[in-house]
Amino acid sequence: MRSFYQIKTSLSIIDRIKEINYLLVFLLLIIFSFGLLSLYSVAEGNFEPWAKNHLIRFFISAAIFLIISLMNIKLILKLAYPLFFLNILALILILFIGTETYGATRWIRIAGISLQPSEFIKVSLILCLAKYYHSISFIDVSKISRMIIPAIITIIPIGLVVVQPDLGTSIIICIGAGSIFWIVGVNYKYFIAAFVVACASIPIGWQYLHQYQKERVYTFFNPERDPLGNGYHIMQSKIALGSGGFSGKGYLDGTQSHLNFLPEMHTDFIFTMYGEEFGFIGTIFLLFIYLSIIFVSINIANKSRSNFSKFMSSGLIFLFFIHIFINIGMVMGILPVVGVPLPLISYGGSSMLATMISFGLIMNCYINRDVILAKEGFID
Amino acid sequence: MKNKTIHSSFDIANSEKLISRRATLLAIAQTALFGVLGSRLAYLQLYKHDEYKSLSDDNRTTHRLIEPARGSILDLTGNLVAMNTENYQALVVLEETGDVHKALIAFNSILPEKKLEIKKIIDLSKKFSKFKPIKLIENLTWDEFSKLNANVYNLMGIYPNVDFKRYYPKNESLAHLVGYVASLNKEESYNNPFSKLTNAKSGKVGIEKSMNSNLRGIIGNKRLEINAFGREIRELNRVDSKKGEDVQLTIDSDLQDFCYKQLNGLSGAVTVVNIHSGDYLALVSAPAFDPNKFYNGISHSDWNLLTSNIYKPLINKAISNYYPPGSTIKPFVALAALEAGFDLNKRIQCDGSYEIKDASMETGIKSFYCWKNNGHGLMNMKDAIQRSCDVYFYTIAREIGIDKIAEVCRRFGLGKKVFTDFEEELSGTVPDKKWKKDVLGESWMIGESLVAGIGQGYFLTTPAQLSFATAQLVNGGKKLNANIIYKGTNLIQKNLSTQLLANENHLSFIKDCLYSATNIPGGTAYGSRIKGKYEFAGKTGTSQVRRITIKEREEGIIKNKDLDWEQRDHGVFIGYGPIEKPKYSISVLIEHGGSGSSVAAPIAKNVMNFIFNNKLDVKRMFKSDA
Repeated sequence: MRSFYQIKTSLSIIDRIKEINYLLVFLLLIIFSFGLLSLYSVAEGNFEPWAKNHLIRFFISAAIFLIISLMNIKLILKLAYPLFFLNILALILILFIGTETYGATRWIRIAGISLQPSEFIKVSLILCLAKYYHSISFIDVSKISRMIIPAIITIIPIGLVVVQPDLGTSIIICIGAGSIFWIVGVNYKYFIAAFVVACASIPIGWQYLHQYQKERVYTFFNPERDPLGNGYHIMQSKIALGSGGFSGKGYLDGTQSHLNFLPEMHTDFIFTMYGEEFGFIGTIFLLFIYLSIIFVSINIANKSRSNFSKFMSSGLIFLFFIHIFINIGMVMGILPVVGVPLPLISYGGSSMLATMISFGLIMNCYINRDVILAKEGFID
Repeated sequence: MKNKTIHSSFDIANSEKLISRRATLLAIAQTALFGVLGSRLAYLQLYKHDEYKSLSDDNRTTHRLIEPARGSILDLTGNLVAMNTENYQALVVLEETGDVHKALIAFNSILPEKKLEIKKIIDLSKKFSKFKPIKLIENLTWDEFSKLNANVYNLMGIYPNVDFKRYYPKNESLAHLVGYVASLNKEESYNNPFSKLTNAKSGKVGIEKSMNSNLRGIIGNKRLEINAFGREIRELNRVDSKKGEDVQLTIDSDLQDFCYKQLNGLSGAVTVVNIHSGDYLALVSAPAFDPNKFYNGISHSDWNLLTSNIYKPLINKAISNYYPPGSTIKPFVALAALEAGFDLNKRIQCDGSYEIKDASMETGIKSFYCWKNNGHGLMNMKDAIQRSCDVYFYTIAREIGIDKIAEVCRRFGLGKKVFTDFEEELSGTVPDKKWKKDVLGESWMIGESLVAGIGQGYFLTTPAQLSFATAQLVNGGKKLNANIIYKGTNLIQKNLSTQLLANENHLSFIKDCLYSATNIPGGTAYGSRIKGKYEFAGKTGTSQVRRITIKEREEGIIKNKDLDWEQRDHGVFIGYGPIEKPKYSISVLIEHGGSGSSVAAPIAKNVMNFIFNNKLDVKRMFKSDA
């Protein structure tokens, strides 16, 4: 049996380089370029302050992407738990030494660089869960006893992020973990049960929400309720997108954006400005590129021989997807405003790095798609 | 072990199938949700585009009105009597000061005499946007303004600025006539685009009011791109404002000034009109007010001073107040008598009083007295006008009746508004039987005709009416249109209509009478005659404002100077000149000033002298009438 599957156990570095999926790299570069263009426009046609940093961060992230892509997948499997553990430690550490911005403590400063551990926990949790499900038998997946550990390792980071407070990220962590549970084949009844429990706990959880979070939810259901507060931003965002029309107002000519009608233009609302300036053609093209990346990655997951690769890349790509969906849905007024960046376009180092790490891992899965991994780590 | 392997292989096959099914479902879900995003984008960017486009345009643009400069008002010779002058001021833009407090301290050190109340300004400034200029101080002198300009580099965020304000260089003499501008009131603001201007002003009285729509100009506007905070980013397009029309008056401001000075210390009016064109050269009312004080809203103390003054400086006595014309009505009554066929040579005995039967009196007789207690003796019409014999006029008034008198007076413009320009003008009263019936609901009494014959009783005329009526009386009876706005020479030609208001012989006789009243010894204005190349003629009038009782008449009439001001007679004078070639008519009215011959005639003389000496004809040769 083993020999049948054991086509490859490891690849030389040259083999790995040869195996790089250049289509994925190309698509990522396109998205990144749009990010760069948009940040240049947000700064009224200036490279400073955002576009420049975005470019630098991309180079750093691209290097890390390359390193991760070319790593031995067995090492990744081996590091999955320790990395997750370290990440959890960082989240705990933040409670004590974190930097507070806008009333939320999300950043940690290491050697002069501010990092947002919550961005990385999304990735490391998926890594961790992928390893866990890789290591257990399929038949045990839906056993209650085998549900406890994944439940705990999911709830801990969610809890740590919620208290920052960062509702958006915790929702994303939850959905990302959910995608792993789904893909590994956890009985759908658990999903139904979880859904019911979630719905039932909304009234209880509601009380624990911060006022601004409640406001955002109210506003989502009725944007006219507070047209100059939270609703104002959504209204202005819709006006910006709508006024962009079919072909847009032209690059650097978005009036809504450049006249400060939009909030957080370089981060969460950057899609609005992009849509205003490039119009429907631009936004649909961007969605098309995003979707292409998702399809390429899903294909990678399908082709992966090992469960670890399959689970990990499926989870990571769903994570990528959910960022896009929540961000764009939010600026178009179909989802409440939660702070979720648009991958590779929004300004933000941690988000960029986490995204590129994800794609490094996905690329690694592609390169090592035929490598068989033993359930307990190293085979040889 | 074997069992487990079998189980395992089954397990793997099964799991592969499940995982790939789950992965497919997940991929479908993601694609479907992308479809949701795409359709939402199509909805917003294609379907709702027009709606959002207009919302976006509304968002980013705003209109600002551009205030037009108000037209100037000039006198006949082109002197400015209402103009826009530079108002030197300092503006502050809060956000550019860095520290408002420091900036204001710096300002105070540069202009210590203009000490600003820093705390007050800072409190006030909190109501304004940080980027909008706020007026810090205005009405700076040129010296202060230069000082500010020289030190502007020390004043972060404080800027010298010049805007315009209305200025009336002639100050008081033209105050009533020209009027003044002030902020719009509620009624004026209704449906008026000018009310949207930050510095909107409108004329409140006089020419500023009547010509307001010509003077104010046309508002311009500019479309601006603004950001979310309302800050101006750039101008998109602009339609410039148009300066209001200049208005030229028929007034000679030098003459106006002179007349005003003649009224110094008195309450009254002087009007001068060109008898051929109907152009008013002077329309003076005294005392007056400073129209410049109204621009920024007059202070309470100034206002109280004006309203508590018994001389009523706010009223234009030339057109907005009426007085009994007194004996100045006599030339018109005489004309009425001539037209009624009265023989001008018929002599009437004046014994100082005229008696009619009156059942309401104890004695059954009511006496009407001549101003001259002993009487004038035998009087023909010319004598009666020269000496202003009341008994003579009682007699003819009784004979020809009130309706004839009223008809003639109205024909010459008494009892009617002279101008169409002033809302504040009053028409006065020329009484007749119908008027009394309509207004008072009573029948006319014969005694009332008598007092009307000497311009008393119900008779009320404005000084402007008197000079206008006189003008038509002495210009050969040509009907005039009165002008206060200079309309060019052509229209004046048209004014010389062929329509004559009365028989030429009658009129030249009346002129003779007026001449003798002023220039022949015994005339009531003889003391005020002009001895020189040019002469003038006129009729005095003294209008009583109180009833003299029989008792007082027996004991001796109280002299004017012993009466309260309000009880004293009005002094009136009407006249024209020069005699050789009549050109101007004049009316003078001194409120409670005493007799016409003692107060009004001397002023008329001075004014006529001024006109003759300054050769107003030459001065205006190119401007007005030939």
